[in-house]
Amino acid sequence: MSFRFSVPNSMLTLGLSIAILSAPALAQDTLAPPPEIAELVDTCKACHGDNGVPVQEDAPIIWGQEQYYMYVQMRDIKAGRRKSEIMGPIVQDLDKDTMKALAEYFSQLKWPSLGYSTPEADIPVAEAAAVAGQCPQCHLGAWVGNSRVPRLAGQNVQYLEKTMLDLKYDRRKNAPDVGALFKDMSDEDVRSLARYAAGK
Amino acid sequence: MRVTKILLAGVATVAVCAAQAAVSQAEEVQRGTLYGDMTIVSQDMLSRAASDGNNFLHTNGNYDQTRFYPNKQINTSNVRKLRPAWIFQTEVVETMETTPIVVNGVMYVTTAFNHVYALDAATGQQIWHYKHKMGPVTTYCCGPNNRGVAISGDRVFMGTLDAKLVALDSKTGKLLWETQIADPELGYSETMAPTVVGNKVLIGTNGGEYGIRGFVKAFDTQTGNEIWTFHTIPEDSVGVWATHDATGRDMLRDIEAEKAALKKMGDPYKTLGGGVWQNPAVDLEANRVYFVVGNPSPDLDGSLRPGDNLYTDSLVAVDLETGQYVCHFQYIAHDVWDLDAVSPPIITQVKDGDGNMVKGVLHGGKTGHVYVHKADDCSLLRFSEAMVPQENMWVLPTKEGARMLPGANGGVEWSPMAINADLGLTYAINLHQPMTYHVESTPYPEGKLWLGGAFKVIPTEEQWGNVTAVDYNTGKIRWQVKTEQPMIGGVLSTAGGLLFTGEGNGQFKAYDAETGSVLWNFQAGAGVNAPPSSYTVGGKQYIVVAAGGNTQLDYKRGNNIIAFTLAE
Ligand code: HEC
Ligand code: HEC
Repeated sequence: MSFRFSVPNSMLTLGLSIAILSAPALAQDTLAPPPEIAELVDTCKACHGDNGVPVQEDAPIIWGQEQYYMYVQMRDIKAGRRKSEIMGPIVQDLDKDTMKALAEYFSQLKWPSLGYSTPEADIPVAEAAAVAGQCPQCHLGAWVGNSRVPRLAGQNVQYLEKTMLDLKYDRRKNAPDVGALFKDMSDEDVRSLARYAAGK
Repeated sequence: MRVTKILLAGVATVAVCAAQAAVSQAEEVQRGTLYGDMTIVSQDMLSRAASDGNNFLHTNGNYDQTRFYPNKQINTSNVRKLRPAWIFQTEVVETMETTPIVVNGVMYVTTAFNHVYALDAATGQQIWHYKHKMGPVTTYCCGPNNRGVAISGDRVFMGTLDAKLVALDSKTGKLLWETQIADPELGYSETMAPTVVGNKVLIGTNGGEYGIRGFVKAFDTQTGNEIWTFHTIPEDSVGVWATHDATGRDMLRDIEAEKAALKKMGDPYKTLGGGVWQNPAVDLEANRVYFVVGNPSPDLDGSLRPGDNLYTDSLVAVDLETGQYVCHFQYIAHDVWDLDAVSPPIITQVKDGDGNMVKGVLHGGKTGHVYVHKADDCSLLRFSEAMVPQENMWVLPTKEGARMLPGANGGVEWSPMAINADLGLTYAINLHQPMTYHVESTPYPEGKLWLGGAFKVIPTEEQWGNVTAVDYNTGKIRWQVKTEQPMIGGVLSTAGGLLFTGEGNGQFKAYDAETGSVLWNFQAGAGVNAPPSSYTVGGKQYIVVAAGGNTQLDYKRGNNIIAFTLAE
């Protein structure tokens, strides 16, 4: 994904053709899904949005999310390691290849901006919590993730609050080490951290 | 500071060449006539690297890994005249841990996410740029790092985050072969630079945070075929039920409970971790390689892995030809703190207990001690005074979190030490980063992150770093200089009586190797957290270092390779 690298300004002036050539996986606004998954993709859009902005209020952004991470989540939801009454039935009958194709497809789309900004009051609390939990060590400097590690920056704030508390209270069981980071934080501090990530 | 001859034009050329590499093309290397066409790195050159004052052929300087550079043109009396000669900016602004390798005026550097650049070492002009085509599954514990290439013959070798080994044509950057080292979905990946000896490329693996079974492998330089594998975790990983660590401290193991667990679950070797993060030292005389093995998986939860967890947290020697086990020494049996062994070992002559000089091996531990071994049988001769505060060792991790010093980054992290054999000193950079250790037992998660709990920094406590000179013949600290932040990167020592190392705040400094006085410094604008190297072109000695910051400690990122030489 090109957003991970800061491309020297002079490269931008070289024109689009280079950008497209050099980055086949460059994020796109629209991209026709492969026919095998086209119908499924329409289902996904019902909640995750037509343009990447989630319509259901606690659904996460999946446009531009890391491919391998999304595949693993679908796999874990199907296996029951991550319980979701909403997503469970959706992935129940999907095989590995279909989940991989869906993850690949959505990862290529452009991460949307929800225009959220973190309330000032959260920042000092969240920054201390981020130092304690060493979040950038795995989620990277801009919290954009890589491969196994999800992007947090700009994620839907309602979803983040919910999933982080689910991790803290072992309701989401597929990432216990991440949950362990939240165990000795108050719920309010966890929410501050969620609002901080959402505003990045 | 007056900056002479900075090659600003380098910035523009980056863009052009980046585009070029994107379509998998590369220019021919343009060599100055001064060097002819000396593109082949012979085994003899590699073997004699310790006395080669022109090139920098190994990640840690030479096979003994002393990081002692024999040229003294830049020395204690003139280092204050050191100025940047050129700055090269890579396309990737992320954590840099590369050691520049220099051969006959051509430099090879790598970046996060596995880009490789060949540069003219005199001017910083780009020669070629290779971008690894990354698969969807990459794994890292502490940033998408790469620590550099190995060179031999007409090729350079690099390990990748998706667990491949690639061989490139050193002249053009063209991919010659690539080999899948292990399955990335199970958490295997590569950040270390390989080491080449004869027809073998040696490389370990990351993955101690993912329940892998660690190894060092040898691959054929010509074909990429595997020659041998040494599993760092033997099928019998139980050991001797050691209750005390290498320094004699009680590790509070519940041996009875472990024995019961062993009976119930069997030997845990298949998912026991034991990554090898850094280059082996090669003893050409004895035909052996020495390396250190990292932590057991899961890091903080010992309940699922009864026994000493051999050969985690150990120095290990194997036969170079066959990969057969020779000897080992375990620092911490059944580690539950991730205070493992990562900084690359160094071979040098040391005093044994009777005062005789013998071949020794040094290792800077995450515990904060320098360990001194007899090379012959890996046994421990002595350990140094602690270089950082140690408190509450070895309190067991708890659910609520137990405070212990050093924190889980050490002591000494992966950062290579350097030595000055004339002074009998080894130089380590240290971290003081108070943490709490939390345990949370969960079963093996099939290739996902598996820490068995959490390491948490205590944000209200002060952190700092040190540069420490240790007399390895006595174990005494000769001098120590405190730094503003915990240190990560590496050290270069030179025949000019100098020591070079960088800091997270962008400072790159030269120290007097004898006294620790700071003789020179430069502000690089981003964290200098990579091991420096040195070389000579056109009769001029250079010092070079990457300033790209660090993901693990969240130091300011950048993308610069900076070469320094003396002002006219
Ligand atoms: C009825 C609404 C709905 C539909 C339809 C739906 N999702 Fe979801 N999805 C959700 C919600 C809500 C969550 C968050 C679940 C939770 O809180 O654990 C989610 C979570 C996910 C996640 C995990 C993301 C993360 O950051 O962890 C992925 C991946 C995902 N959905 C993919 C899909 C795909 C692919 C489809 C179509 C095949 C789809 N979803 C269809 C509502 C929906
Ligand atoms: C040791 C590495 C590591 C550290 C440190 C870490 N994370 Fe994560 N995080 C991960 C991984 C890996 C996942 C994906 C887990 C999975 O596959 O289910 C993850 C997942 C998450 C998720 C779920 C995102 C989603 O889309 O559902 C959140 C939220 C999160 N982390 C927040 C944090 C915060 C906040 C911190 C710092 C307090 C932090 N993490 C520190 C590795 C880490």
